[in-house]
Amino acid sequence: MLKANDIGYWYDRQENSLFEHVNLEFESGTSYAIVGQSGSGKTTFLSLLAGLDKPRAGQIELNGEPINKIGLTNYRRSHVAIVFQSYNLFNYMSPLNNLMTAMAITKSSHQGDKEYAADMLRKLGITDEQMKKNVQKLSGGQQQRVAIARTMCCDAKVVVADEPTGNLDEENTKDVIEQFQKIAHEQKKCVIIVTHEPDVAAMCDHSYRLAKHEFSLEK
Amino acid sequence: MNFCKRAWLNITAKKGRSILLILVTSAIMLFVLAGLLIRNAADTATSNAKKSVGATVTLSANREAAFKKMRQSTSTSKKKTKPTLSTSPVKLSDAKKIAKLSNVSSYNATVSTSANAKGFSAISTSSSSNGGGMKGGMGGSSTSSGDITIDGVTATSSVSDFSSSSSKITKGRGITAADEGTNNVVIESELAKEDSLKVGDTIKLKATTGTKKTYTLKIVGIYKASSSTSSSQGPDASDPSNSVYTSYTFANTIKGSKYKNTADSVTFNISDPAKVSSVKTAGKKLINTSKYSLSTDDSSYQTVKASMDNVKSFADKIVWLVAIAGTIILALIVILMIRERRYEIGVLLSLGEARWKIVAQFFVEMVMVLIVSIVIAGAGGKFVGNQLGKQLVSQQTTTATTSTSTSSQGQMGGGTPGGTTGGSKPSGNMKGGGGGGGSMPGSSSSSSSTASASQTDLDISVTIMDLVELGGFGLAIMFLSIMLASGGILRLQPKKVLIE
Repeated sequence: MLKANDIGYWYDRQENSLFEHVNLEFESGTSYAIVGQSGSGKTTFLSLLAGLDKPRAGQIELNGEPINKIGLTNYRRSHVAIVFQSYNLFNYMSPLNNLMTAMAITKSSHQGDKEYAADMLRKLGITDEQMKKNVQKLSGGQQQRVAIARTMCCDAKVVVADEPTGNLDEENTKDVIEQFQKIAHEQKKCVIIVTHEPDVAAMCDHSYRLAKHEFSLEK
Repeated sequence: MNFCKRAWLNITAKKGRSILLILVTSAIMLFVLAGLLIRNAADTATSNAKKSVGATVTLSANREAAFKKMRQSTSTSKKKTKPTLSTSPVKLSDAKKIAKLSNVSSYNATVSTSANAKGFSAISTSSSSNGGGMKGGMGGSSTSSGDITIDGVTATSSVSDFSSSSSKITKGRGITAADEGTNNVVIESELAKEDSLKVGDTIKLKATTGTKKTYTLKIVGIYKASSSTSSSQGPDASDPSNSVYTSYTFANTIKGSKYKNTADSVTFNISDPAKVSSVKTAGKKLINTSKYSLSTDDSSYQTVKASMDNVKSFADKIVWLVAIAGTIILALIVILMIRERRYEIGVLLSLGEARWKIVAQFFVEMVMVLIVSIVIAGAGGKFVGNQLGKQLVSQQTTTATTSTSTSSQGQMGGGTPGGTTGGSKPSGNMKGGGGGGGSMPGSSSSSSSTASASQTDLDISVTIMDLVELGGFGLAIMFLSIMLASGGILRLQPKKVLIE
C-alpha cells in the first residue's frame, strides 16, 4: 500500500545522510513500529511518509503512485492522518469541534455528522460532558485519545504517529496502543508508529529498527 | 466555509485578545471616520458656499482703453492741453442683454454722484474737506462734489454691504426696483439722528452739476452702517454717514439728462460661481469692448473655497496618515498574532488545509473585529469629527481673515481712485462703482468674504454612506495587514512547526 522506494534524506551534505536507499513497504490492516535511538532519523522518516517533507532521493508511493504526483497537501488531506506526541489539537476548541473541523478539512465522508464524531469520542472514553469542554481542560491521556479519535473520523487509509505515548503513563500507553491496533485491524488502516519504547513496539504487528543509517526488521 | 467557523470559534474563545484587537481597530477606525466626515462636510460646505456666497460680473467703462485713447490724443495733439480721460457710462440696454444670459440671477445698476444738503446738515468730520475726496471724470462730466454722497442702486438688497450685513435697514425699507423713477431715499441712522429725520420725512438736495436744481426726496428707510466700515475711507472722504441710497434713476437725474438710462456700472449676480468665466465670455460678445469692460469678482466664493479646500486637504491627510499608520499597526499586530499561532497553522497544514484558507481564516477574524469596531467608531466618530472640524474651521477662518485683510490693504494702496462719489461709500458697497470704473477690490470684497468664511460651519453627521466608506477603508486596511503578515504563513513548512 505505502512504499518507501529507495529513499534517502540528508540536511546539508549527502555524506552526512540520515539514511539512504531505504526500501520499505507498509500494508493496510497492519500496525508497524519504527524504533531507534534519539536522533537516528525515525521522526524524519515518518515526516516523509506523512507528506510533511520531501525525500532528497527516491520517492514515497501510495498504491503505486508517487505522493508528489498526488500533491503533498492533497495527500495529507485525503490519504494520511497524523498523531503527534504533543497531540496537536486546536486549543481553542472543544474535542467535538476538533473532530468536526478535521472532518471538514479532510472532506471526510462523515463531514458535518456531529453524532458520528461524538460516537468516536465515546468509543475512546471521552464523556459527553468532556467533549464539550475546551480541549485544554482534558488530561494528557484524554487529549491523546481525542487526537486518535480525530484520525478515526477521517477517511485516511494511512495513520502515522510520532511518539504518541511519549507523554502518557503506562496505563494510558497501553490503552492508546490498543486503540491503534483497533484502527489497524478493525478499520483496515495502515498504522505506522514511531516510538522509542520497546513495550509499544512489542504491541505492534511489525517492528523496524533504524540504526547506523539503515532499517532492519525486528519483528 | 469551515474557515469562517474556525474564525468565529477563535474570536469567541480568546476573548481578551479579541477585545484588545477591537479596541486598537476602533481607535484606528475612529480617526479614519473623523477624517472622512470632515472631508465630506468640507465638500458639502464648499458646494453650499457656491450657492450662498455667489459671484458677480461687473459691467463698467473700459478705463484701460480710455487711458490708451487719452495718451494717443495727447501725443498727436500739437496744443499743450491738459489730458482728459473720457469714459462712456454703461447703457442699460446692454446690461439687460447680459442679464438674459443663463446663470445670471439678478443685476444691480449703480450710479454714484453727490449733491449738497439743503435745509439739513451733512455730518462733517475734522479730516474731511467739504469738496469730497477722490475725483474722476465720467464722460467728461463736471467734477464738482457735494457733501452728500448719492448711491443710486437698483435695489439695496443687492448691494454687498447689505447682503453681507455690514449695513442693515433699521427702520422703513430699502430701495427696490419699484422705486425706479421716484425720489425715495434711504439715509444713514447717524445722519437721521443728527437732523432728527425719520421715515416719511422729506429732505432737499441741490445738484452740484448741470442745472443745479434742488430736489425733494422722501425718506423711505434708515440704515445702520457698521462703525468699522468708516475706517476704509480716505483722508479727504466725507463721513460715511452722509451716504444715501436712492434709485439709480434719481442719481442719473442729479447727474444730468444725458445720463438717462445709463449707469456707472452694473453688477450681475451669478447663480453658480463656477460659471463666472463663461458668463464673462458670453457677455463680452454682447458689448462694445473698446468702450466697456466686464470684470469678475468671485473672491467671496474663492475665500470660502480656499478655506474649505485647506480643511479638505487636511482631512485627506488625516485619512491617509491614519490609514497607513493603521495598516502598519494592524500588520504588526497580525504578524505577532500569527507568530503566536504557528502551532495552530502547523496543525491545519498537517491536516491538509489549503494555505489560502488559513489566510482567509485570519482575514475573517479581522473582519469580525472590524464590524464591531465600525459600530464603536460610528458612535464616537461624530464627536471626534465635530471637535476636529471646529478646530480646523476656526484655524482656516483665522488664516483666511488674516490673508484677506492683508490683500485688502495691499489692493487699496494701489487702487484706482474713481468716480464722483469721493470715496465716501461705507465699506465700498459697489464693486467698481466709481465713475470711471475705478474699482477697489480689496475694500469691496474683504468684509463680505471673511464673513462668509466665518459663517461656514462644518455640518458633521454620520450617514450610512460614511459607514460604508469607512468599511471599505477598514477592509482595505485589514486586507493589506493580512497580506503583509501572511508571507510567513505561505513560507511555513508544517514539518518545521510540528516536528522540529
